[in-house]
Amino acid sequence: MAETETLAATPSNSASGEEILSIQQRRWRKFRSFKRGYYSMLILVGAYLVSFFLPLLVNNRALVVHYNGQTYFPAFRDLLDLPIVGQLGGTPFISGEELGQVGNKSECNYRALKRQYEAEGKGNYVIMPPYPFGPIEDISVEGNEPFMPPLSRDMFGDMHLFGTDDRGRDVLARMAYGFQISFSFALLVASLSYLIGVPLGALMGYFGRWFDLLMQRFMEIWGSLPFLFLIIIVVSIVRPSFFVLVLLLVIFSWLGIAQQMRAQFYREKTRDYTAAAISIGVPTRKILLKHILPNSLVPIITFFPFAIVGDIGALVSLDFLGFGLAPPTPSWGEMVSIGMENLTSGYWWLVLVPLGALFVTLMLVVFIGEAIREAFDPKTFSRLR
Amino acid sequence: MVEYFIRRILLTIPTFLGSTFVVFLVVQLAPGGPLEQQIQALKRGAETGGAGLVGEQALPKDAIEELKRFYGFDKPIWQRYLIWLGVMKREAKSYRIEPGKPRLVGENQRLVLVPDGKSFVLRDADDPSKPIGEWKWRAERDEETGATRYRVYLEAYSGILTGDFGRSYRFRKPVMELIAERLPVSVQFGIISFVLSYAISIYLGVQKALRHNTPFDFATSSAVFITYSIPGWAIGAVLLVLLATDRFLPIFPLGGFEDPLYAEMNLLEKIWDRAYHFVLPTLAYTAGSFAVLTMLMKNSLLDTLSSDYIRTAFAKGLREQRVIWLHAMRNSIIPITANIGYVIGVFFAGSYLIERVFDIQGIGQLSFEALVARDYPIVFAFTVISVVVTLIGSILSDLALAIVDPRIRFK
Repeated sequence: MAETETLAATPSNSASGEEILSIQQRRWRKFRSFKRGYYSMLILVGAYLVSFFLPLLVNNRALVVHYNGQTYFPAFRDLLDLPIVGQLGGTPFISGEELGQVGNKSECNYRALKRQYEAEGKGNYVIMPPYPFGPIEDISVEGNEPFMPPLSRDMFGDMHLFGTDDRGRDVLARMAYGFQISFSFALLVASLSYLIGVPLGALMGYFGRWFDLLMQRFMEIWGSLPFLFLIIIVVSIVRPSFFVLVLLLVIFSWLGIAQQMRAQFYREKTRDYTAAAISIGVPTRKILLKHILPNSLVPIITFFPFAIVGDIGALVSLDFLGFGLAPPTPSWGEMVSIGMENLTSGYWWLVLVPLGALFVTLMLVVFIGEAIREAFDPKTFSRLR
Repeated sequence: MVEYFIRRILLTIPTFLGSTFVVFLVVQLAPGGPLEQQIQALKRGAETGGAGLVGEQALPKDAIEELKRFYGFDKPIWQRYLIWLGVMKREAKSYRIEPGKPRLVGENQRLVLVPDGKSFVLRDADDPSKPIGEWKWRAERDEETGATRYRVYLEAYSGILTGDFGRSYRFRKPVMELIAERLPVSVQFGIISFVLSYAISIYLGVQKALRHNTPFDFATSSAVFITYSIPGWAIGAVLLVLLATDRFLPIFPLGGFEDPLYAEMNLLEKIWDRAYHFVLPTLAYTAGSFAVLTMLMKNSLLDTLSSDYIRTAFAKGLREQRVIWLHAMRNSIIPITANIGYVIGVFFAGSYLIERVFDIQGIGQLSFEALVARDYPIVFAFTVISVVVTLIGSILSDLALAIVDPRIRFK
C-alpha cells in the first residue's frame, strides 16, 4: 500500500490515456467481478440493515393504534431497544386497559385488540406489522400453542409460517431476530479481537526479544486454557448477557489475530524499506503505523469474514449447549437443542429452520470472504501442460 | 536443528506448568468448588436422611475439617498445586488415633500409639517387632475444645506426574479408568475421520487444481465452503433429521454407538452394525476438517504446477500422471504435513457437540458432563491431556515438516 500513495499521486488522466487505478480501486473492481461474492455481500449487508427495523416488520406490538382519538406507536419503542440489548420486551409497555381491553392490566394483546376494534366498529383501528408475531411472546398469549407445525394457523386464523417452538413462540420471528443478534455478536467479537490482536501482534513482531518471548509463552498458556470450562464457570456466577459473552469470546479470539500480525511484522521488519526508514531516522511510531502496518494488513483483512463465520458458529454452539445467551433471547442454537431433544417426536422444523438460517448466513459470509481473498491476491495461476 | 527441537521441548515445560497452574487456580478459587459442593451434598443428605433433626448448622466441624483435609484445602494454594502435580508429598492416608488404642489402617495392619516418656512411639498393635513402614504420627489441636488429638498418616508422592489423576467425584472411580473406558469409541471416530479427511482432501485438492476454473472446480468449491463454514455438529443434526427420523427418510439409526443387541451378534452382523451406526457421525466429523486441507492442497499444487521444473518435466515429454504425482506432489504435499503432528490428537478427538447430537458415550461427553457437574479430577485430567497433546502436536508438526522438506532449517 506504499504503492497506493504513489499511484494516487499521479494524475489519473496521464499521457497514455488509460485510466490509472489505485490499488484499492483495482481490488474493488476485482471483487465486483466475482459475482457470487459481490451479490452475497449485497444480500447480506441488505439483510443486516433491514434487520435493524425488524420491530416494524416482525412484531407482536402494533405499528399504529388509534383509540378514542388518540394515536399510539407501540412497535417503534422496540426500535431503540433492539440494537442495544439485542432483545425485546424490556421497554415499558402500554397496558391492555389503556387501549380498551377490559380487565387486562398487563401488556396489551394487539392481535386481540385488532379483532376487538373491528368487531366494535367505532372507528378505532390497529395496524399490525406485516408479520404479527413477536420473538418472545409465548403460550401465555391466547392462541399460541406449542409445537405447531409450519404453515399452520392459530385459532384466530393467523399463520405461523415456520410453526412454533416448545413454548408457543413463533419460529420465524425468533429466527429473524436470531439473525440480528448472531450477526451483531459476530461483528462485535471480530472487531474487538482485531482491536486487541493487531497492535499486540505488531509490537511482538517488531520488538521481538524478551517481550516477544514472554508474550508468546503467555499466549500459549492462554490458548491452552479450556475455553468452554471458563465459560461455564462465568455463566454460573453471572447471568450471561450479550456483552459478557462478547467479552468472553474476545479474550480468546484475539490470540489468532495477534499470531498472524506477529508473523507479518516479523517478516516486514527485515525488509530493505524498513531498514531504509530506520537509517534516515524515521520515528519508530511512524515506521510501525505508516510503513509496516499497511503492508501487513492484507492477510488479516482477508481473514475477517472467516472470523465472523467462526464467531457465529461459536455462539450457536454455545446456545446449543445451553451456555449461551440467557433465555428468552431469541437464539438459533437454543431452538436446535429443543428440536434435538424431541427428535423422535418429529419437530423437524425446530432443527431445520434455524440451521437453515445458519447455513445461508454462513455461506453468504464465506462467499464474500472468498471473493475478498481473491481480490487481494495478486497471484494469477498460470500453468503449462 | 537438534538444538532447536531440544529448545522447543524445554520451552514446553514452563508452558505446561503455566497453563495447568492457571486452570488449577481458576478451579480452586471459583465459587462452587469441590469442597463447597461436597458440603452441600452432605447437608442435603443430612436434611433428607437425618430425621429432620440435623439441620444446616449441624454439619459437624469435624466432618468439614475432614473434607478440607481430603481436598487439601487446609494448605496454601501453591502447596496444593505442587501436591496435585506430584512433586510434593501428600498425606495419602490419614486416621485419627487415640493413645493406647489400636487403629486399623489398612489390610491386616493395626497401629497403636504407645507412650514413651513425654512423647509417643508408633508401633504395630499386634506384633510390636513388626516394622510399621512409612507411617508417622503427629499431634494437633482441636480448634473447638482446645484438646490435643493425635493422627497417624502415610505420605506419598501422588499426582499427575506420577500418573495419578485422582478419582472422579461422581463416578467414584479413578479418572484414568473412566477415560480408558470411553476412549475406544472416540478413537475409532478419530482415526476414521482423520484418514478419510486426508484421503478426500488430497484427492479432491489435486483434481480441483488440475481442473482449475472449470465447472467442476466451482461446484466442489461451493461444497467445500459449505462444509467449512458450518459446524460439524450442525451438519450432523441436519443429517440426523433428514436421514434418521420418520418424517423424512429413516435410513440410519437415531444415534448411539451400537445396537442394544450388539453383544449377541455374530462377527459379520457386528461389523455391519458398527458401520451402520458410523456413517452419519463420521460424515459430521469429517465434514469440518477436510475443507481447509482441500483448499491448501489445491493452492499448493497450483503453485507448484506453475514452476519451472514442472515446465521442464512436461517439455521433455513425461506423461502428465507422472509429472503430477511424482514431480509436483512431492513439493505440493509439504503444506499439508504442517499440521500432521496433531494426529496424536485423534485419540482425544471426541467432540462433545457431535457426540451429544448422536448420543455417543465417548470422551467428549465425559469431559463435557464433568465440566457441567464440576467433577474436577476429570476436568483437570482433560486439561492436562489437551495441553500435552497441543504442545507435542506442534513439535511433531515441525519435525514432520523438517523431514519432508530438506530446505527447511529451524534455528
